[in-house]
Amino acid sequence: MKFLLAFALAASGVIVSVPLFAHHGNASYDSTKTVTVKGTVTDYMWANPHVFLKVDAKDNRGNTLHWIIEAQNPLSQTEVGWTKNTFKPGDEVIVEIIPAKNGQPIGRFGVAGPTAGLATQESRIVINGKQFKP
Amino acid sequence: MSKRWAVLIVALITGLTFSPILRVQTAAPQAAGGEARKWNNIPPRKSAYAGKKSSPAPRRDLSGIWDAAGLDAGIQVNGAFEHPALLPQKGGGAEGGREAGAGAEGGRLDETGIEHPLPYTPVGLAALKANKPSGPGVRQVPAALSNDPLDQCDPIGFPRMELYELRTIELVQTANRVIFLNGWYGNWRIIWTDGRELPKDPELRWNGYSVGKWLDDYTFIVETVGLNARTWLDHAGRPHSEDLRVEERFHRVDHDNMELTVTIDDPKMYTQPWLGVNKFPLHLLPSDFDIPELLCSPLDMAEYNRQISNAVLPSRPKK
Repeated sequence: MKFLLAFALAASGVIVSVPLFAHHGNASYDSTKTVTVKGTVTDYMWANPHVFLKVDAKDNRGNTLHWIIEAQNPLSQTEVGWTKNTFKPGDEVIVEIIPAKNGQPIGRFGVAGPTAGLATQESRIVINGKQFKP
Repeated sequence: MSKRWAVLIVALITGLTFSPILRVQTAAPQAAGGEARKWNNIPPRKSAYAGKKSSPAPRRDLSGIWDAAGLDAGIQVNGAFEHPALLPQKGGGAEGGREAGAGAEGGRLDETGIEHPLPYTPVGLAALKANKPSGPGVRQVPAALSNDPLDQCDPIGFPRMELYELRTIELVQTANRVIFLNGWYGNWRIIWTDGRELPKDPELRWNGYSVGKWLDDYTFIVETVGLNARTWLDHAGRPHSEDLRVEERFHRVDHDNMELTVTIDDPKMYTQPWLGVNKFPLHLLPSDFDIPELLCSPLDMAEYNRQISNAVLPSRPKK
């Protein structure tokens, strides 16, 4: 019985830890922090090597920051249910990202943890008030 | 006892509920109207065919669309990543691989648990250290500091096309050759089966010169030489020289399954041959599977580097 329980936990752990393959590592990002960006989409690039999203968001002082948030390549994004139409300019979005270490308003879809920035689908994404579900 | 069962069931449900795999699986994209996708097909997960009985393999036949690994294996997770060429930087490594957060990558990508280091020659080790990969791993550097030729859209070349992001390929077999078509970065190779010998002193090519022959009815062996040394062997920056010889062994296990073993033999860089992938599973896909395109556009890459890679560089101390 103990063996079965250990097996179940181990099996679920293995599944959870499988990351998508990432073309670029997350060396420039702080994989210990999750930041939630709330703002308006200004552009959405569906391109190799990485799909990316631009979002205008206000910081604590009311200044507008022009965020650039990268995902993985278009193939990997297709595999997790994204399309070229997932975002469009004007969308109001809330997205979870890991931030650039250098403090620039640049991030990568993902949440803090062992696969930070490598598993896009771990991010919470809300588009125009609706939770994004592929 | 029943309490234990409850614990087990809760553990299982918890594990599966929070598994990204299952979340993705239940959310598989469908074309509008629920019809099956006809274009840009996504390969099935391993669980969709694992344990499924297959009819016997046809004799001397590799043709078909073959998927490497499936989505849930993590592409290449059992491939070249199993080898320890990403030597952890010990004491004063300038590349900052450790500092770069390798420990945070988790899972099998960091290669720290691997037993047998690759057999580098001193020349090979120096060449490895000169290569600065941007991909996940213990030697990774920020993309803007990487010298990975792929980060400038140089050709991926052979055998890197098999040791990095091997996804879906098509093999076309004709009377005198096998044509290897790779959707990832739009590669194709010709493997001659007409009995010709490999060239002795060829002009070097990104994909080399390949000849193949059947070892038995289900095992096809390909030898490749004449490889341009400007390519890396894989995403980790493992080096090779112009003396590299590669052997591919395609072993058709049954109708639906094939195994690929790639042997790297480069005496200038390695003191003995080693396996880049060992019995790496390839699964046959339906003949109407539409392989998606993924090409490297130098302009798009430059735009990515300008907007993101260069912009996320940590600021360096001013002199």
